[in-house]
Amino acid sequence: MVKGKVSLNENGIEDTLNINDDLETIKSKRRKAALTWYMFLLPSFIGILLFMVYPIVESFRLSFFRSNGTIETFTGLSNFQMVLTSKTFWNTVWNTFFIGFFQIFLTIPLGFIFASLINSIKHGQNFFKVVYFLPNVTSIVAAAMIFQFVLHPEMGVVNYALDAIGLPTSTWFSDPSTSKWGVILLAVWHWIGFVIIICLANLQAISPEMYEAAKIDGASGLQQWLFITIPNMSGTFAFLLITGWIGSLQRFNEVYVLGGPNGSPARSIQTMGAFIYERGFTGFEFGIASAATYIMFIIILIFTFINLKVSKMQL
Amino acid sequence: MDQRMSERISNVVKFIVLLVFGILLMMPFIWMVSVGFDRTANITMPFPPRLIPETISNFNYGIVFENGRLIQSYINSGIVTTCSVFLQVSASLLAGYAFSKGTFKYKRLLFVLVLCTLMIPMEPRLIPLYTLFNSVGLLNSFWPLILPTVINGMLIFLCKQFFDQLPGTLREAAQIDGAGEFRIFFTVYLPLAGPIAATMVILSFIWSWNDFMWPLVVLNNQDLHTVPLYLASFSLENGTSLGGLTMALATVSILPIVVLYLFLQRYIIQSIALSGVKGE
Repeated sequence: MVKGKVSLNENGIEDTLNINDDLETIKSKRRKAALTWYMFLLPSFIGILLFMVYPIVESFRLSFFRSNGTIETFTGLSNFQMVLTSKTFWNTVWNTFFIGFFQIFLTIPLGFIFASLINSIKHGQNFFKVVYFLPNVTSIVAAAMIFQFVLHPEMGVVNYALDAIGLPTSTWFSDPSTSKWGVILLAVWHWIGFVIIICLANLQAISPEMYEAAKIDGASGLQQWLFITIPNMSGTFAFLLITGWIGSLQRFNEVYVLGGPNGSPARSIQTMGAFIYERGFTGFEFGIASAATYIMFIIILIFTFINLKVSKMQL
Repeated sequence: MDQRMSERISNVVKFIVLLVFGILLMMPFIWMVSVGFDRTANITMPFPPRLIPETISNFNYGIVFENGRLIQSYINSGIVTTCSVFLQVSASLLAGYAFSKGTFKYKRLLFVLVLCTLMIPMEPRLIPLYTLFNSVGLLNSFWPLILPTVINGMLIFLCKQFFDQLPGTLREAAQIDGAGEFRIFFTVYLPLAGPIAATMVILSFIWSWNDFMWPLVVLNNQDLHTVPLYLASFSLENGTSLGGLTMALATVSILPIVVLYLFLQRYIIQSIALSGVKGE
């Protein structure tokens, strides 16, 4: 239609009109293109809405109700009060932090030392990488199953070895006073491969020129490690610290296999995750479990924030 | 000469330290395999522990396979993992590509939203997701395990990073030829995405295969149990009795993953390292 009008005009006007015409089509093409881009995002954002946003909002709402999934009554803040005054809950917080603390502060230094050793040898680097990472690819559920026997107080191989070399043995999972150490040992065994792989990748990214320069200045191997390697790894340590804590605070799988939903013996290895599972899916107290998840969520956020601050200071 | 000598010695010492500690780490596996083949290990474990069983037999393995639940759980895990990996990797490739090469409104905001999902743990979502799938009658099916995996912030992030490294000029050439965005993606960029797709498949496979808490919540029906669920229920039922059977079961459940790992170790280790290094 536009074209028909244009044909009556002189050449100059025809051109400008044609440009306008082009602009219009470009604009609509852009709009169409934008729409196509949203199509690319559609599956992921349906997922975000349905499986992230909705559950987070809904569990916030649920935390103000008494609910078993079918009957709901509004109870205000009483769920939060109930959880925050529950000795059982604070015991799970203590257990979670205790296990997490020792897992992280044993595994990161140990893993870093082994990564440095692997990085410094000439032959067999790949062999050791494969061996040390193997525990991490096995599922933690199967690993917990094996460790029940490995750490068995009477017939386990660890106590036998400790006894053979004259060290004191432990009651491990059979006594509340030692069971957490069993979980820590399992956690260190399972996580160390991951720490080593991450450390190795970052060790190899440190520029060799720095070492060359240090060598010319007469720095020994240990000095190079202390003053070049470790400062260059602070970002990696921060990453491991943060992901380590996030993972630790959500610990559930292995303690469920070792001690069931109530973390036997005597709730000594019940974690926050296990508390939520126990209240939510063995007791069907959805309101209380939701309040507990929010408290846990807030603990994780605050703690991650603190970790970020602390590790920034080191950088 | 002297320095070369001391370097040699320190190399040997390091090697030995690594070897000893490596054997220590492998000890649970070694013992597991040994006890699994031990005919007498079900009443009490052999004590003192021995490397070679007194009577080697495949008795325990026979029972583990005859029971049938292990094979069923393998099939279940296989179905769930295959579908999850496919869904998760496809959705993340599409989204990662759009966030890298796309031009549209709210791109930054939407990407921040994706990164925010990394912060959200499973626990607060557990109960609403349970009631959601319950209300549409999909509990005790594989759907609740498969569908929520469609969104994975980590994979989208890794994927975007990868496409960022590919030049945008590839697009322009195809655009001049009049190809649409989807055609450009499928014919130009997707064929180049092999390395990142492999990484994503590996990571997604490991996550899905080892997933435990959510399947535990939604699958009550034993026939639908995945491998970790079957292991856990067996372990909770029997505790530390039936050592031989437990170890045989553990061996069979770990073996395929270990074999896969040994074949793909280079790629798996690279993938893990990438998720860590880029995750910073």
